[in-house]
Amino acid sequence: MPGFVEIPWQQQAGLPLLLLLQGLPLFGALVVFALRERLTAVIAGKLFALAELLLAMLVLTRIDPTRPALQLAERFGPLAYHVAVDGISLVFLLLAALLTLLMTLYGMSRGMISPGRLFAVLLLAEAGLVGMLVTVNIAWFAACSALELWAVTYLLRRWASSRAENLALIRFVQYQAFGWALFVAGCLALGWSHADAHGGYWSFDLFDLLGVVPPGKLQTAAFYLLFYGLAVRTPLFPLHGWLPNMAQHGLIAVAPALMVGVKVGIYGMLRFVLPLTPDAVLTWQPYVVGFAMAGVFFTAALAFQQTNLRRLLAFAVVSHTSLLVIGLFSLHEAGIQGTVLLAANFGLAVTGMWFIVGLVFRRTGTTELHELSGLFERIPFLAIAFLSFGLAIVGMPGTPGFDAAHLILEAAIDNFGALSTVAAALGNVAAAGFLLWAFQKAFLSQGKPGGHDVDRTLPMEYLVCGIALAAMLTIGFFTEPWLFLTETASQGVVARFAR
Amino acid sequence: MNWPVLSLLGFTPLAGAVLLWLLPPRAARYVAAAAMLLVLFGASATLLLYEAAGPRFQLLERGVWIASLNVHYLLAVDGLSVLFLPSTALLFLGALVAHWNRAMDAPRQHFGLLLLLETLTLGVFCALDTILFFVFWELMLVPLYFLVARWGAVRGSGLGAARYFLIMLASGIPLLIAFVMLAASQPVPTFALPVLLDASLPRSTQFGLFLLFLLGFGVKVPLVPLHTWLPQFALQAPGSLTALLVGLKLGAYGLIRFAVPLAPQAALELHWLLAGLGTVTLVYGAVGMLAQSNLRVGMAYASICHVGLAVLGLSSFTAQGVQGAVALLLSFTLATGGACLLLDFLHQRIGSTDINSLGGAAKTMPALASGLMICGLAGVGMPGTSSFPGEFMLILAALHSHTGAGMAALFGLAIAAGAFLALYRKAFFGPVANPVVAQAADLRPREMLVLVVLIALIGGIGLLPGPWLELVRPAAEAWAAGLGRQ
Repeated sequence: MPGFVEIPWQQQAGLPLLLLLQGLPLFGALVVFALRERLTAVIAGKLFALAELLLAMLVLTRIDPTRPALQLAERFGPLAYHVAVDGISLVFLLLAALLTLLMTLYGMSRGMISPGRLFAVLLLAEAGLVGMLVTVNIAWFAACSALELWAVTYLLRRWASSRAENLALIRFVQYQAFGWALFVAGCLALGWSHADAHGGYWSFDLFDLLGVVPPGKLQTAAFYLLFYGLAVRTPLFPLHGWLPNMAQHGLIAVAPALMVGVKVGIYGMLRFVLPLTPDAVLTWQPYVVGFAMAGVFFTAALAFQQTNLRRLLAFAVVSHTSLLVIGLFSLHEAGIQGTVLLAANFGLAVTGMWFIVGLVFRRTGTTELHELSGLFERIPFLAIAFLSFGLAIVGMPGTPGFDAAHLILEAAIDNFGALSTVAAALGNVAAAGFLLWAFQKAFLSQGKPGGHDVDRTLPMEYLVCGIALAAMLTIGFFTEPWLFLTETASQGVVARFAR
Repeated sequence: MNWPVLSLLGFTPLAGAVLLWLLPPRAARYVAAAAMLLVLFGASATLLLYEAAGPRFQLLERGVWIASLNVHYLLAVDGLSVLFLPSTALLFLGALVAHWNRAMDAPRQHFGLLLLLETLTLGVFCALDTILFFVFWELMLVPLYFLVARWGAVRGSGLGAARYFLIMLASGIPLLIAFVMLAASQPVPTFALPVLLDASLPRSTQFGLFLLFLLGFGVKVPLVPLHTWLPQFALQAPGSLTALLVGLKLGAYGLIRFAVPLAPQAALELHWLLAGLGTVTLVYGAVGMLAQSNLRVGMAYASICHVGLAVLGLSSFTAQGVQGAVALLLSFTLATGGACLLLDFLHQRIGSTDINSLGGAAKTMPALASGLMICGLAGVGMPGTSSFPGEFMLILAALHSHTGAGMAALFGLAIAAGAFLALYRKAFFGPVANPVVAQAADLRPREMLVLVVLIALIGGIGLLPGPWLELVRPAAEAWAAGLGRQ
């Protein structure tokens, strides 16, 4: 089995960039926290988020995506600290940095209470996310994941926007703790099998574990533990129960965006599950895809039943996450590439939609579809942005979703048979159905007499949605650099499944 | 000529759309008018630059778009598509006139979307890279959706718009699958039509492709039984958009451009399917027209009927058949598109196009009534109108290749003519019952201008069809010759 190679950071950069990338938001969180609720805290929070994005771009210039290796690698023995990136993780990193920046801008325009504290927690969550995306040690991945989950839990507790918040919080904690425990158990299974093979030497490092693929049933167990652990996090049907409640009752945009904006679950499957349990993946592939297929349609059907825009979006997320899993388990180079692109596209689009829902909520005090109407007349830009994000999810040409869908189709035609492809594509139409329906209800329907006197779009709102929209359309029409970035890395993932 | 003529032409409306956002809302319609006139001028210039005897694809522009997928920005025109450019430009100008005083609440959005739609439509006719074509094709849904949902003719048009959007989105899936399958069948995956036209594919792949194309384009054409969206759309959309949708035969263009030439063997073997669908569509449209009471829906059925004839003629797979099909489609851009525009003018005056609320409308609106009569006669292929040459060629081709279907087509066309006259008589003759009709004013000068241009073209091309047909002929011959390559 081909292993992975890595290039140490000294060869590519003068500084340990990945350490900086992880350290900066942590440091930023400390600074913002220390500044408490001063105005400078808000400014510092935004600056740190911006600096993180710039740093991620710097990392982008340092790596060479055509080399089939994990790059900018850093190791520190005693803590088993081991980080490295490739083209795929960079896509996720850039997205995480961009979304955090947008969230800081959004947090301002929503006028939330105690913004200083909010920004500190936000940066902490970003640190957790970045940690997950750069590490190649599965135990570190679990640890960073715990950090991020803690940050989101705190957010939900502190800034929830309705009285049902407790329910949302409890569900969230129950599900996430359970998923996290599954994932950790999976890690332990892998570590144990390594210890078994190497005379009691436990390791959770990806490079070590690659050499000792656990035998038979242990591998299946490890696969399922890791897969379901991540499936709760992602969330994947039927383990999505926490998301609708959280979306409806929790913090409107920031918390869901942190949880599902960057698809770390999908990333974890790509980085760890696929390479570490290859035989189990091949064996269980049809079942996983079958469940995902059911998930696409089942959750799309549920989305049609929703009367609340926030809940509806939650089901939209679950529906399209299932599509990502179909792409991922095609185990085809183009399919993986498409999945990465699609994950970024979904993340960006769904975050944008959540922002807009938040902005609508600020104006109307409700996200019940039957209470919303005629918003297009008052906030046309936000309405068009909402629909554009919706169309990105559907894979409309001009958004990254189209190229991604096209790649996934190619993969599926190659080795999956036409049926699943058609089904996946029809899933998109279902998504288009409920998104259009929601759009119509909330934005286009006739304004009710005595309805809300809705404020016009503010400059900051133009900025937040404009940036997200511009990023999406730019990636959509100029996909080439992103395909270039992910091509070699995707080949690397598939290489282990060469049949 | 080193200018990227087609790109300049295609993106002029988009530039107009951007420009009108920079100017005050009052100026929006003037900017739109200027941009559309510029496009009409450019499209006519393209027609002059195009040499009928020259190579197959002309005014070629090539640029790499997505290198690792081998997707190119590839634009060109040939005899089959070049005439669609000026007809598109004309129809959009007509639509602009119909919209002139509408949408004063948000003119920049309205005219911006209309201009965007024009760019995309021109793109569809010029794109030779299948992915590029698909991008234009799918993106058209967005402005259409907004225009119908926001400025629909009836309350609740939003649902109709969403329905249209979803049906078209679903019909895009078989197309995309076909294009990807086609690319994957090549040793080096490619989406460039000129390359794909020279490739020979295994028979089974061709069958799959042809059926996928038929499904995808069939919805847009629309072929019975995939036509159910059109009558509803005609009722709910603003009349000018119906004119665009019914006037621009994108689906049939897709069949001619992609479906048949890319899977020739399958097309030849499945000729009965294509001919059968064409005949059923024709007769269904004609009979359906008999049952209508609303002129706009009637016009939608007329369009279904005519496009059935084009598909039937196409299934002869002769140069004459395809030449006739293109000529007829173009003529219907004028005739049906024009009729829909006139009906929109009527709708603006009366608030309805149902014959029950009309009656005697020719008394108060003689110009509108006579215009509609001329468009209608062109629609039924009256000699002396622009439709006659195309229709004649199609009938000949159909009688030759599918005699029974050709006979049925003749019969169906007779029914359609009768149905049109019956509808027309009830709407425009007889006593005036509705007071709104009695007070209605005849065409305004700008509307009259649209009418005069339409009639001049319908009559002019009808009397002198030679040059236009000659423009199409070489490409049609190359098209027919290409089918025999297997």
